Amino acid sequence: MTAVRVPAVSRPAAAMPGQLRAAARLLRLELRRNAMPWMLPLVFALFWFSVYRKAMAMPPLWHPRAASLQIGALLAFASPAAGTAAWMGSREARRRTTDLVAITAWPSWARQLATWAATTCWALAGYLACVAVLYGVTARQAAWGGPLWWPAAVAAASIPAVSAAGFAAGALVPSRFTPPAAAIAAFFVLALSTQPINGSQSYWNISPVVAYPWDIGPDPGVATFYPNLPDLSIAQVMFLAGLTVTVLGAVALSDRRGGSWLRRPAAVITAAGLLAAGTAVALAGTGTLNAHGMIAIPAVHDAASDRPARYTPVCSHTEIPVCLNPAYASYLPAVALALTPVLHEIAGLPGAPVRISQAAAIYQQGPGNSVSISMVGPSISGGRPVYHVLLPDQLGGAALTTSEFIAQVRSDAGPNILANFIALPRSGASQAQQAVLAGLLKAAAVATSAPSARGAPQPVLSPLPAAVQSAAQRFAALPPSARHAWLVRHIAALRAGRITLAQLP
Amino acid sequence: MNVEIIGLTRRFGRTMAVAGVDLQAGPGVFGLLGPNGAGKTSLLRVMATAIRPTSGTLRLLGRDPGSYGPRREIRCRLGYLPQNLGYYPGFTAAEFVEYFALLKEVPAARIPAAVAEALDRVDLSGQAKTKLRALSGGMLRRVGIAQAIVNEPELLLLDEPTAGLDPEQRVAFRALLRDLGQRAAVLVSTHLVEDVGTACAQVALMDAGKIVFQGTPADLVARGEGHGGGDAPLERGYSAVLAGTRS
Repeated sequence: MTAVRVPAVSRPAAAMPGQLRAAARLLRLELRRNAMPWMLPLVFALFWFSVYRKAMAMPPLWHPRAASLQIGALLAFASPAAGTAAWMGSREARRRTTDLVAITAWPSWARQLATWAATTCWALAGYLACVAVLYGVTARQAAWGGPLWWPAAVAAASIPAVSAAGFAAGALVPSRFTPPAAAIAAFFVLALSTQPINGSQSYWNISPVVAYPWDIGPDPGVATFYPNLPDLSIAQVMFLAGLTVTVLGAVALSDRRGGSWLRRPAAVITAAGLLAAGTAVALAGTGTLNAHGMIAIPAVHDAASDRPARYTPVCSHTEIPVCLNPAYASYLPAVALALTPVLHEIAGLPGAPVRISQAAAIYQQGPGNSVSISMVGPSISGGRPVYHVLLPDQLGGAALTTSEFIAQVRSDAGPNILANFIALPRSGASQAQQAVLAGLLKAAAVATSAPSARGAPQPVLSPLPAAVQSAAQRFAALPPSARHAWLVRHIAALRAGRITLAQLP
Repeated sequence: MNVEIIGLTRRFGRTMAVAGVDLQAGPGVFGLLGPNGAGKTSLLRVMATAIRPTSGTLRLLGRDPGSYGPRREIRCRLGYLPQNLGYYPGFTAAEFVEYFALLKEVPAARIPAAVAEALDRVDLSGQAKTKLRALSGGMLRRVGIAQAIVNEPELLLLDEPTAGLDPEQRVAFRALLRDLGQRAAVLVSTHLVEDVGTACAQVALMDAGKIVFQGTPADLVARGEGHGGGDAPLERGYSAVLAGTRS
């Protein structure tokens, strides 16, 4: 009955190794004659201008640079990749080879897949080169930690997705206007995808240009004291993979000449892609800002990520050591310089802190996209007191120059260190305590008028009565040794509130 | 029979491009003559499986191209040169032919030899590494022929293959046609009756979507005896048949 039937040479399973070899040859041919390499110089220029320069202006910390890589590289690559893919997708119609290729044995989807894959491979190769440069330079500059691969993976997964979308546009609407339209659309879709974000619990966090809780910015305080949380990145990669599969499946479904053996798997693939993308969006909607400044998604969360990162702090050789997380080693000279005058005033005195130690910040979602950042735990702890500080960079906000940074650290931490040293109560401080604090601040050249950074409450210093100001002036004018000697003798009484203004030297 | 067509029609909107064609062709060179708009290109595109017939029966290489599996088998053994050859200017001649060899499922191990042979048969071995944008119109036409024959097709459909070729190349091409016709059914659509006279064993004349004459070139010459239109015997036959049909 069926003996005379021609063997099913068209069935892919029958000649798979040969077809794989042919597919490899076709991909090689498409790689050789792809338009994407011509776009790479432009992409590299965009990357240098919009990503590399900005990343190099950031402190050499992995998280902010990785986050800026994810966002910036995506915007640099999306438009050229989408436009070029649309150009390649419309090639057959533009070059009028539609009939010529349509009558070949390969399904048009498989043929187009090779063209898309070649375009995507070039874009990915360019992207990986950019990642290698940025991470290579950061590795040489960073004092601690290692590359964060999840943000890089999100941007990498975005490239096939935008490329597939552009290719589908070019294949389905083969017009000369499609490539520029696809490039512009890719940029605006990505740029506008963050607009509807309202708080950390937003479905729109699935947008691949979201690398951190929106509106915080690339915060250096994140992923330093605690490991980088990949929860949102996992959902984003899942979404992008689903999107890519959906678009490619839809292109296959649109091939009306394909037989049922092609259309059925294409329908299944499209449905699977949609399911993956939809699930990822749903997961993103369950995300919440955790205390460490990252978005946690319960369904994919690994509790091990909540354990603090182990590290050995780097300390200054000042009278009272200033110790920072090793990731911030490059900050140490500036922080030590900022605090040395303050620490010099109290070094060696009973009750003075034995160490100034950098603390982790704690993040809390506020209304809308606002996030409050403060310090974990009390500012002073232990029998041998250790004073904890947050650096201005941990608190977000605008980038500071070194001199601004020094002034900020001194005005944030100086008054608090001294107030803690003399046990200044939040309210009801004696006039002598206020005068000594003001005198020490003056002697240490702490500008108390500088605006306080978020999360660093200042002791109440003003307005001071004239008599207190006068006593503070006198105390500050004493020689350092005399001030030091007086404090050695009277610090306990001062803390207890038993010293009057008249008893001050 | 490599081609069996019964009552085939193809409509584009209100226009009936192919209006009930019956045709059978086995191995050998078959010429398809006709004035502009006669339906030659539409008939070839239907036979090339580029478009589906509106009605009628079509069997190619013993298979029904209406279903996917047989159509794919036909396409593996089919060569087609369209009237307006589209091409990718950045590809070299060899790459362009290799591209179609891959799409026609020529075994990967055989592709380099098949490409070299196809280019050699159209006398383009010397231009194998030249990009298509640098080739002349006649050379591009020969690249188109090379891609059509790279898979050693059993059914070869050539739409105006000699357009743009110089006389020397046309002579060589006719020899190639006769050679290909030894084992394959070669259907050549052309305006040039001398191509038919020298290369074709069978000829059909189309007008207004129908075949109005089918026979040997000698039969066509005989139909022109005593007819005044045309310089050559085949041209007189061509004109006589068309005049007879239209009257």
